[in-house]
Amino acid sequence: MKKKIFAITLTLALAFGLTACGSGTQQAETTTTAAAERTQLVVGFDAEYPPYGYMDDKGEYTGFDLEMAQAVCDLRGWELVKTPIDWASKDMELDSGAIDCIWNGFTINGREDDYTWSVPYIDNSQVIVTAKDSGISTLADLKGKNVGVQSASAALNVLNGDQSAVKDTFASLTEYGDYNTAFTELQAGAIDAIAMDIGVAQYQISSRGEGYVIIDEILAAEQYGIGFKLGNTELKDQVEESLMQLVANGTYATLAEKYGLTDYIILEAE
Amino acid sequence: MDFTTMLLQLSTGMLESVKIFFFTLIFSLPLGLLICFGRMSKNSLIRNIVKVYISIMRGTPLMLQLLVVYFGPYYLWGANIGGKRFLAIIIGFSINYAAYYAEIYRSGIESMPVGQYEAARLLGYNKIQTFGRIILPQVIKRILPSVTNEVITLVKDTSLAFALAHMELFSMAKQISAAQTTFMPFVIAGVFYYVFNFVVAILMEKAEKKAAYYR
Amino acid sequence: MNLLEMNHIKKSFDGVSVLKDVSLSVKEGQVLSIIGSSGSGKSTLLRCATMLETIDSGEIIYMGEKAAYTDDKGKCVYAPPRELKKIKNYFGLVFQNFNLFPHYSVIKNITDPLINVQKKDKEEAMEIGRKLLEKMGLPDKENAYPFQLSGGQQQRVSIARALALNPAVLFFDEPTSALDPELTGEILKVIKDLAAEKMTMVIVTHEMSFARDVSDYIIFLDKGVIEEEGTPDEVINNPRNERTRAFLSRFEN
Repeated sequence: MKKKIFAITLTLALAFGLTACGSGTQQAETTTTAAAERTQLVVGFDAEYPPYGYMDDKGEYTGFDLEMAQAVCDLRGWELVKTPIDWASKDMELDSGAIDCIWNGFTINGREDDYTWSVPYIDNSQVIVTAKDSGISTLADLKGKNVGVQSASAALNVLNGDQSAVKDTFASLTEYGDYNTAFTELQAGAIDAIAMDIGVAQYQISSRGEGYVIIDEILAAEQYGIGFKLGNTELKDQVEESLMQLVANGTYATLAEKYGLTDYIILEAE
Repeated sequence: MDFTTMLLQLSTGMLESVKIFFFTLIFSLPLGLLICFGRMSKNSLIRNIVKVYISIMRGTPLMLQLLVVYFGPYYLWGANIGGKRFLAIIIGFSINYAAYYAEIYRSGIESMPVGQYEAARLLGYNKIQTFGRIILPQVIKRILPSVTNEVITLVKDTSLAFALAHMELFSMAKQISAAQTTFMPFVIAGVFYYVFNFVVAILMEKAEKKAAYYR
Repeated sequence: MNLLEMNHIKKSFDGVSVLKDVSLSVKEGQVLSIIGSSGSGKSTLLRCATMLETIDSGEIIYMGEKAAYTDDKGKCVYAPPRELKKIKNYFGLVFQNFNLFPHYSVIKNITDPLINVQKKDKEEAMEIGRKLLEKMGLPDKENAYPFQLSGGQQQRVSIARALALNPAVLFFDEPTSALDPELTGEILKVIKDLAAEKMTMVIVTHEMSFARDVSDYIIFLDKGVIEEEGTPDEVINNPRNERTRAFLSRFEN
């Protein structure tokens, strides 16, 4: 997909009469600011991904990940720039240096080699959410059902990868741009179940009230990390160092409790 | 989030949409005229380049063009594109809409009777005067209905800026909707878009009435 | 002196010869009418004279100044733009379809070229415009727009517009053809008045009796060739040429 977009980009750009400078495109230097002079950290996030990154009641961007990022920046004296991105463009945003990292409930599993990763900081499972009265309680029950998933998400990766046998039993698998739409369709009966991250699932269920359940059988156990552009270990090390300080001073646990993620945090002070 | 805050948040999104709308109009209307001249140029090289340009602009999705304008400079030259999101949106919208306007101008110019040019020539007007004083004012009247169509489409197209995650009305509605798990922001956004277009339609109708002093 | 001389004019469109070696001259104060059936080349001749079309070969001379000539190699050469611009000031043209500017009021149609081309100041232009409208019998139509006028009134405005620039020769391209028959009289009267003032005019027309009354000289054009020319009495009353007689017979009764 990434390659395809890149190819289309190039073709169009050429057609526009621009002259591409051949190999320069692949080897282009990173445009993120060098470490010595870094004054800000541009965090890319999907603003429709509570509780990790979203818009709060006052219209400010907040969430577990963004508060952690703020704490890291406070420690390092950086300014945090919260940049909401279109999730489908996240790789272009990161590659081009428009953002420094993706910090937003970003699943490591399946993408190990695509980014330079921080240590995992949240244990996250991919689960199935259904309506309470749907009669679905195991993965096997999904046979012949219509299932929704966020496009370019970890849940989709799992369904296309390790759990493709389960996917093959679905009547259909619909990709949504965001979970809000998926839930609206679930509510309306257009789909029977949604495959998604457990943290997000719990936020959605608690804010939408009764009527939804997470089935016990999980799709996959996964972990969240902070994704940096491949090779940018310098920035990763700096952020990670501060992250561990936050674990040691208790900020990590406090924030996890605030966002109802206590059961899923996995980092411990050394 | 209470209703007032939601309205306030959506209003800031609305302001961004209005900004995209006005900047696009300011740049694309004159640019379109320039492209139109290229399209009608006697030089076949210029004419064909412009033809290809227009065909690409009209033949590919605007959303894709926005991505190319924003990310293209990095992939081509490794340029730093941080912070140029809004600029990319305005450029992307302007070059796209200019292509449509160019074709509208062309249809208007080509519909002008040759007698108007000949009369102007006989009376001694030079080419620039002929175009500026005689042809263009009449062309504008002729193309106003088509321009109105495009302008109204532009109001709705501003929502495509979400592809570059610019916080205009539609992106804002999506985010609030996600955080609050309610459909309400979309309803409000819809009303906002409608009111915006209603105002635009009234203004364009006024312009058409103003131009109706002659036939 | 000849105000206009056209010598050995040839013109073809896509290989079809429309004017085959046509020559004519117009003296000061003279009224020349060009008659002939449609397709005879008379409109093309007028368009060549007013430089709306370029000639293939021949010579066009206004007031002794060469606008176009044919060089030794047989190539047609037009005067450089600056001279040509000057020469174009010597003549005006009244179109069959008026070609008034619809977005300008009557007075602005007349004054705009005065102000923007001849660089006259606004008051002077207005004065010229008003005088001419008076002369055309349209003093109360100053602020009307062309669409509010009858065809005859529009044509009178377009004559005023051409006269305002004070041309030495005024061309008319079938000035009554686009008008309802009952409106042709007012235009023909205006042209007759101008003839009485010794305005030099070249008129392409279908109105035979008018041509006979107003002209000093008549040219009968047929298939791109001048078949007969002379005074109205010679050409219309006593045509010698068979084709002229055949053409004129269609207008009798």
